[in-house]
Amino acid sequence: MNLRWFRRSGIVFVPTSIPGWLILAAGVAFCIYAFIDADSRSHSVSDTLMNFVFELLIAGAAYSLVAYLTGGSGRGRRETDGR
Amino acid sequence: MTAFEETLARMTTPEVPQLKHQALLADAISRGKSKSALSFWWMSIPLYVIAMLFMKSAYVRDSTLRSNLHEFFTRERYVAPLLFVVAPVILILINAASIRRIHFLSGSPGPATLLRIAWSNVAVIIVSATILIIYFL
Repeated sequence: MNLRWFRRSGIVFVPTSIPGWLILAAGVAFCIYAFIDADSRSHSVSDTLMNFVFELLIAGAAYSLVAYLTGGSGRGRRETDGR
Repeated sequence: MTAFEETLARMTTPEVPQLKHQALLADAISRGKSKSALSFWWMSIPLYVIAMLFMKSAYVRDSTLRSNLHEFFTRERYVAPLLFVVAPVILILINAASIRRIHFLSGSPGPATLLRIAWSNVAVIIVSATILIIYFL
Protein backbone atom coordinates (compact mmCIF):
# COMPACT_ATOMS: atom_id res chain seq x y z
CA MET A 1 0.00 0.00 0.00
CA ASN A 2 1.50 3.32 -1.08
CA LEU A 3 0.42 6.13 1.21
CA ARG A 4 1.11 9.74 0.23
CA TRP A 5 0.12 11.58 3.39
CA PHE A 6 3.33 13.60 3.62
CA ARG A 7 6.15 14.94 1.48
CA ARG A 8 9.60 15.86 2.69
CA SER A 9 10.85 19.42 2.43
CA GLY A 10 14.37 19.65 3.86
CA ILE A 11 14.20 18.11 7.31
CA VAL A 12 10.48 18.78 7.70
CA PHE A 13 7.66 16.50 6.60
CA VAL A 14 4.78 18.53 5.19
CA PRO A 15 1.26 17.03 5.14
CA THR A 16 -0.30 16.61 1.70
CA SER A 17 -3.58 15.00 2.68
CA ILE A 18 -6.34 15.28 5.28
CA PRO A 19 -4.99 12.42 7.48
CA GLY A 20 -1.58 14.10 7.35
CA TRP A 21 -3.03 17.43 8.50
CA LEU A 22 -4.92 15.64 11.28
CA ILE A 23 -1.68 14.03 12.50
CA LEU A 24 0.05 17.42 12.42
CA ALA A 25 -2.87 18.99 14.34
CA ALA A 26 -2.63 16.23 16.97
CA GLY A 27 1.10 16.91 17.27
CA VAL A 28 0.55 20.66 17.69
CA ALA A 29 -2.19 19.99 20.29
CA PHE A 30 0.22 17.74 22.22
CA CYS A 31 2.90 20.45 22.11
CA ILE A 32 0.47 23.07 23.48
CA TYR A 33 -0.56 20.68 26.27
CA ALA A 34 3.13 19.89 26.98
CA PHE A 35 3.92 23.60 27.23
CA ILE A 36 1.03 24.31 29.63
CA ASP A 37 1.96 21.24 31.70
CA ALA A 38 5.66 22.17 31.84
CA ASP A 39 4.80 25.77 32.69
CA SER A 40 2.54 24.73 35.58
CA ARG A 41 5.31 22.62 37.15
CA SER A 42 8.29 24.91 36.56
CA HIS A 43 9.82 27.60 38.73
CA SER A 44 11.33 29.83 36.05
CA VAL A 45 11.19 30.63 32.33
CA SER A 46 14.35 28.62 31.61
CA ASP A 47 12.91 25.66 33.53
CA THR A 48 9.76 25.80 31.37
CA LEU A 49 11.73 26.04 28.14
CA MET A 50 14.14 23.23 29.05
CA ASN A 51 11.34 20.79 29.81
CA PHE A 52 9.19 21.96 26.90
CA VAL A 53 11.96 21.67 24.28
CA PHE A 54 12.67 18.11 25.38
CA GLU A 55 9.02 17.11 24.88
CA LEU A 56 8.91 19.11 21.62
CA LEU A 57 11.84 17.10 20.26
CA ILE A 58 10.22 13.81 21.27
CA ALA A 59 6.98 14.88 19.57
CA GLY A 60 8.94 15.96 16.49
CA ALA A 61 10.76 12.62 16.33
CA ALA A 62 7.50 10.66 16.67
CA TYR A 63 5.79 12.86 14.06
CA SER A 64 8.68 12.45 11.60
CA LEU A 65 8.63 8.67 12.08
CA VAL A 66 4.88 8.54 11.37
CA ALA A 67 5.34 10.88 8.38
CA TYR A 68 8.23 8.80 7.03
CA LEU A 69 6.23 5.57 7.28
CA THR A 70 3.10 7.06 5.70
CA GLY A 71 4.58 8.49 2.55
CA GLY A 72 7.46 10.78 3.43
CA SER A 73 10.04 8.22 2.36
CA GLY A 74 9.25 8.77 -1.34
CA ARG A 75 8.28 5.13 -1.73
CA GLY A 76 5.96 4.45 -4.66
CA ARG A 77 6.46 7.92 -6.12
CA ARG A 78 7.35 6.55 -9.54
CA GLU A 79 4.15 4.56 -9.83
CA THR A 80 1.98 7.53 -8.98
CA ASP A 81 3.94 9.90 -11.21
CA GLY A 82 2.97 7.72 -14.17
CA ARG A 83 6.50 7.17 -15.41
CA MET B 1 8.12 5.93 -49.88
CA THR B 2 11.00 7.98 -48.46
CA ALA B 3 8.75 9.36 -45.75
CA PHE B 4 7.66 5.83 -44.89
CA GLU B 5 11.30 4.69 -44.63
CA GLU B 6 12.12 7.67 -42.43
CA THR B 7 9.15 6.90 -40.18
CA LEU B 8 10.17 3.26 -40.03
CA ALA B 9 13.76 4.19 -39.14
CA ARG B 10 12.49 6.52 -36.43
CA MET B 11 10.17 3.82 -35.10
CA THR B 12 12.85 1.18 -34.95
CA THR B 13 15.36 3.42 -33.20
CA PRO B 14 15.13 2.61 -29.49
CA GLU B 15 14.31 5.66 -27.42
CA VAL B 16 15.37 5.58 -23.83
CA PRO B 17 15.18 9.14 -22.55
CA GLN B 18 15.97 8.09 -18.98
CA LEU B 19 17.88 4.99 -18.01
CA LYS B 20 16.28 2.67 -15.51
CA HIS B 21 19.23 2.78 -13.15
CA GLN B 22 19.13 6.61 -13.18
CA ALA B 23 15.54 6.53 -11.92
CA LEU B 24 16.54 3.94 -9.31
CA LEU B 25 19.50 6.10 -8.25
CA ALA B 26 17.30 9.23 -7.96
CA ASP B 27 14.82 7.21 -5.88
CA ALA B 28 17.62 5.85 -3.65
CA ILE B 29 19.03 9.37 -3.09
CA SER B 30 15.55 10.71 -2.28
CA ARG B 31 14.95 7.89 0.20
CA GLY B 32 18.41 8.38 1.68
CA LYS B 33 17.65 12.08 2.29
CA SER B 34 14.31 11.18 3.88
CA LYS B 35 16.12 8.72 6.15
CA SER B 36 18.67 11.34 7.15
CA ALA B 37 15.84 13.84 7.87
CA LEU B 38 14.17 11.24 10.09
CA SER B 39 17.53 10.46 11.70
CA PHE B 40 18.08 14.15 12.43
CA TRP B 41 14.97 14.27 14.60
CA TRP B 42 15.96 11.15 16.57
CA MET B 43 19.54 12.40 16.99
CA SER B 44 18.36 15.78 18.22
CA ILE B 45 17.07 14.25 21.50
CA PRO B 46 20.43 12.92 22.82
CA LEU B 47 22.18 16.00 21.41
CA TYR B 48 19.77 18.21 23.36
CA VAL B 49 20.44 16.21 26.54
CA ILE B 50 24.20 16.62 26.01
CA ALA B 51 23.80 20.37 25.37
CA MET B 52 21.62 20.72 28.49
CA LEU B 53 24.16 18.87 30.65
CA PHE B 54 26.99 20.89 29.13
CA MET B 55 25.21 24.11 30.17
CA LYS B 56 24.63 22.64 33.62
CA SER B 57 28.33 21.84 33.96
CA ALA B 58 29.18 25.39 32.87
CA TYR B 59 26.86 27.04 35.38
CA VAL B 60 26.93 24.68 38.37
CA ARG B 61 30.11 24.82 40.38
CA ASP B 62 32.20 21.65 40.91
CA SER B 63 30.41 19.69 38.20
CA THR B 64 31.76 18.46 34.89
CA LEU B 65 30.04 17.28 31.74
CA ARG B 66 31.29 13.76 32.40
CA SER B 67 29.94 13.64 35.95
CA ASN B 68 26.60 15.08 34.81
CA LEU B 69 26.37 12.52 32.01
CA HIS B 70 27.14 9.67 34.44
CA GLU B 71 24.50 10.99 36.82
CA PHE B 72 21.96 11.15 33.96
CA PHE B 73 22.80 7.60 32.78
CA THR B 74 22.44 6.26 36.34
CA ARG B 75 19.19 8.10 36.99
CA GLU B 76 17.56 7.23 33.63
CA ARG B 77 18.41 3.53 33.59
CA TYR B 78 16.08 2.63 30.68
CA VAL B 79 15.72 5.86 28.69
CA ALA B 80 19.45 6.62 28.49
CA PRO B 81 20.50 3.36 26.72
CA LEU B 82 17.53 3.77 24.38
CA LEU B 83 18.52 7.30 23.37
CA PHE B 84 22.31 6.91 23.51
CA VAL B 85 22.83 3.32 22.29
CA VAL B 86 19.78 1.79 20.57
CA ALA B 87 18.76 4.85 18.52
CA PRO B 88 22.32 5.68 17.25
CA VAL B 89 23.01 2.02 16.35
CA ILE B 90 19.74 1.81 14.38
CA LEU B 91 20.49 5.12 12.65
CA ILE B 92 24.01 3.97 11.74
CA LEU B 93 22.68 0.71 10.26
CA ILE B 94 19.87 2.40 8.30
CA ASN B 95 22.11 5.11 6.87
CA ALA B 96 24.94 2.68 6.09
CA ALA B 97 22.47 0.54 4.11
CA SER B 98 21.32 3.67 2.30
CA ILE B 99 24.91 4.65 1.41
CA ARG B 100 25.63 1.09 0.25
CA ARG B 101 22.61 1.19 -2.07
CA ILE B 102 23.57 4.61 -3.48
CA HIS B 103 27.16 3.40 -3.95
CA PHE B 104 25.97 0.34 -5.86
CA LEU B 105 23.47 2.21 -8.07
CA SER B 106 25.86 5.04 -8.94
CA GLY B 107 28.43 2.58 -10.29
CA SER B 108 30.85 2.38 -7.34
CA PRO B 109 32.22 5.96 -7.46
CA GLY B 110 35.19 7.25 -5.49
CA PRO B 111 34.91 8.45 -1.89
CA ALA B 112 34.71 12.15 -2.88
CA THR B 113 31.82 11.62 -5.30
CA LEU B 114 30.00 9.34 -2.88
CA LEU B 115 30.46 11.91 -0.11
CA ARG B 116 28.98 14.61 -2.38
CA ILE B 117 25.94 12.45 -3.18
CA ALA B 118 25.27 11.04 0.30
CA TRP B 119 26.81 13.66 2.60
CA SER B 120 23.75 13.84 4.85
CA ASN B 121 23.84 10.09 5.52
CA VAL B 122 27.58 10.27 6.26
CA ALA B 123 26.97 13.19 8.65
CA VAL B 124 24.28 11.19 10.48
CA ILE B 125 26.66 8.24 10.88
CA ILE B 126 29.43 10.48 12.25
CA VAL B 127 27.13 12.19 14.78
CA SER B 128 25.58 8.85 15.84
CA ALA B 129 29.04 7.37 16.35
CA THR B 130 29.98 10.42 18.45
CA ILE B 131 26.88 9.90 20.64
CA LEU B 132 27.85 6.23 21.11
CA ILE B 133 31.41 7.19 22.06
CA ILE B 134 30.10 9.75 24.58
CA TYR B 135 27.91 7.07 26.18
CA PHE B 136 30.72 4.53 26.53
CA LEU B 137 33.41 7.01 27.67
